[in-house]
Amino acid sequence: MAKEMIAMLLAGGQGSRLYALTQKLAKPAVPFGGKYRIIDFPLSNCVNSGIDTVGILTQYQPMVLNEYIGNGQPWDLDRLHGGVHVLPPYQKATGSDWYKGTANAIYQNISFIERYDPEYVIILSGDQICKQDYSDFLRFHKEKGAEFSVAVMEVPWEEAPRFGLMVADENDKITEFQEKPKEPKSNLASMGIYIFNWDILRKYLIEDEEDPTSENDFGKNIIPNLLRDNRDMYAYRFDGYWKDVGTISSLWEANMEVLDPENSGINLFDEDWRIYSRNSGMTGHRVGANAVIENSMITDGCRVEGHVKHSILFAGVRVEPGAEIEDAVIMGGTVVGAGAVVKHCIVAENVVIGKNAIVGAMPSGGQKGVATVGSDVVIGAGAKIGPKAMVSKDVKDGEEV
Amino acid sequence: MINSNADALGIIFPNSYDSFVPELVSERLMASIPFASRYRIVDFLLSSMVNCGIDNISLIVRKNYHSLMDHLGSGREWDLTRKKGGLNMVPPFAEKNVKVYNGRVEALASILRFLKAQKEKYVIMSDTNLIVNFDFKSLIDAHVESGADITIAYTKEPLSRDLLDMEVGAKDMYYTLELDGTRVREIHLNPKTSGEQNLLMNIYLLERELLIQQIREAYVKGHSYFERDIVMPNLNKLNVQGYLYEGYVARITSVKSYFDENMKMLDEKNLDSLFSANPIYTKIRDDNPTRYINGAKVKNVMAADGCIIEGEVENSILFRGVKVEKGAKVKNCVLMQDTVVEAGARLEYIISDKNVTVTVGQEITGTDTFPVYVEKHKRV
Repeated sequence: MAKEMIAMLLAGGQGSRLYALTQKLAKPAVPFGGKYRIIDFPLSNCVNSGIDTVGILTQYQPMVLNEYIGNGQPWDLDRLHGGVHVLPPYQKATGSDWYKGTANAIYQNISFIERYDPEYVIILSGDQICKQDYSDFLRFHKEKGAEFSVAVMEVPWEEAPRFGLMVADENDKITEFQEKPKEPKSNLASMGIYIFNWDILRKYLIEDEEDPTSENDFGKNIIPNLLRDNRDMYAYRFDGYWKDVGTISSLWEANMEVLDPENSGINLFDEDWRIYSRNSGMTGHRVGANAVIENSMITDGCRVEGHVKHSILFAGVRVEPGAEIEDAVIMGGTVVGAGAVVKHCIVAENVVIGKNAIVGAMPSGGQKGVATVGSDVVIGAGAKIGPKAMVSKDVKDGEEV
Repeated sequence: MINSNADALGIIFPNSYDSFVPELVSERLMASIPFASRYRIVDFLLSSMVNCGIDNISLIVRKNYHSLMDHLGSGREWDLTRKKGGLNMVPPFAEKNVKVYNGRVEALASILRFLKAQKEKYVIMSDTNLIVNFDFKSLIDAHVESGADITIAYTKEPLSRDLLDMEVGAKDMYYTLELDGTRVREIHLNPKTSGEQNLLMNIYLLERELLIQQIREAYVKGHSYFERDIVMPNLNKLNVQGYLYEGYVARITSVKSYFDENMKMLDEKNLDSLFSANPIYTKIRDDNPTRYINGAKVKNVMAADGCIIEGEVENSILFRGVKVEKGAKVKNCVLMQDTVVEAGARLEYIISDKNVTVTVGQEITGTDTFPVYVEKHKRV
């Protein structure tokens, strides 16, 4: 049975700018917002938009991601026909290849897409926090009679040079594409989310593969080629919350924005657009008799005895008496020892922070940064981790980093 | 884990002791009463069985089982969507028994054909008014080692006020054991003895063949009760052994005890002894983490995901999706799923059922000895 549209989710990114957080897992598997991983957002968007077939292109450190996705049941993507499929590079009769670029990753899975005989394919990226109804996007694509559409966000003009920009006419038809230009002609930044007519995508993927000089990338090759051929290309304006969480500071910032849904626009309490995730299965969290919690989000399994201010605690975090946490993102299973001070930082999963240790600091004067501690790290008692530090190895008692 | 199968099937009686908590079961049954911020009582038994490799579980329901069916679905959360065995819900057979069954014998007689067709050697039967993280494997080991025909789990504890005050003719009975070593010599029905007793947990283990044979005989004679009519008269013929359970037990015998047992979860020692042995599974609701907004003051609280707290909460258990608005005060309460406490309202010693709304500025107060129960969907 043919599907109208299926989704291909690019999740192979190494996320090298997240350093300590992506040593053991791919960027889309990075935890976010208390009980989610980044990939929960595009997956939940798919299901909420009525897309029931998703291919996930993985390459870098796929283990955590594979296990997390499993049979797709938490997202209601365990389907008889369709559902979620993890697609790593594989060996073929004619040889094997790593995915050379985003376009090549899709090219290598043409046969997967053809099994569903779709009319449209939506290309998604696994490193963004965004709640978006893809069915609205598809409606736009059809109304315009487009062969290719790209979702775009208006960005402030002064920031425009950091993005891939779409120059569009008053009818939203794309006339030019500028990749990180010095002199921007538009402030419509590409979100890296594309809808293609499948026959067009297929044709350009095959053509791109035959070009030995190509980098096999959507932004660098496929889109310019479509423009060269005067294809019907349209820019779909999206004005909801969207954040590329590719850097430590943007990841930290997006987490902090979750704490302020009234102003930030990222509301996880939306009954009509739930974000699904694999459940920790822990009991409700416990707030002790002497704990203080201010403006924070706390997840199942936490035990809080200390002071938590403007922070996010993921499942199973323990905060011992006298510990102080502020503006921090503390991921699952981490223990914050008694009297420790943890501020303005990201602490990954299953970290042990020793008694009276200091991790990060609130910004003051020239000292500004989001301290980051990688997963499974043990930080000794009384150790001090500076506000710009990036820790992925154990730190001894009293040591300063 | 090739050795994970316990070679036992489970039979659960979800309506047992409904009469102890009439308010709480007006729209449900004992098994589906919410407990400890995000569970239903049946989760504990099902998870315990599954964790011990029991994956063929039947629930023989009597009435009000809609909420249980909704909760269990296909049994996926307990890993019970199996091709062989899995979860088997047995509602009363309308054409066959015009009146719903009375007692375990009739209930079991209605599934005799099913029991005969199973492959497991043993049957474990249980009621659902107990909240335990039970190790059925050691129960089976003890049964095999003692060469028992029937093994009965019990706890050592004095009878609670609720049990002592129970009327003689009450529908739901309780039992104590008199032991000679581990061999059961006598079973007392609704005794009023003071001091420490060997109180039955109503968890039984026996061979499937023996159960079938006993039920067939008892049913023909018109008997209804497994304990009174099968076990008690046969204590000389059958080797009936007691199995002392020393783990954490929460026993629901009244609305008050329901309140107290929830409150006990605020003590980390109790929480850890109930939950640390093996995971307890429950239906997933995909709530977001709980949000504490400026102004929230919380002290000694257990809260599940999905709550929004802007007021004050002390010594309370909050289930998923509870909202406590600005200026509201909640003290010594058990607030079930999606309870809303509007601005300025004050609650003390309250059990609110699902979807209760306490409107702006309202004040409801119960007492330690008599917590006030607010029924499902009520707006006060």
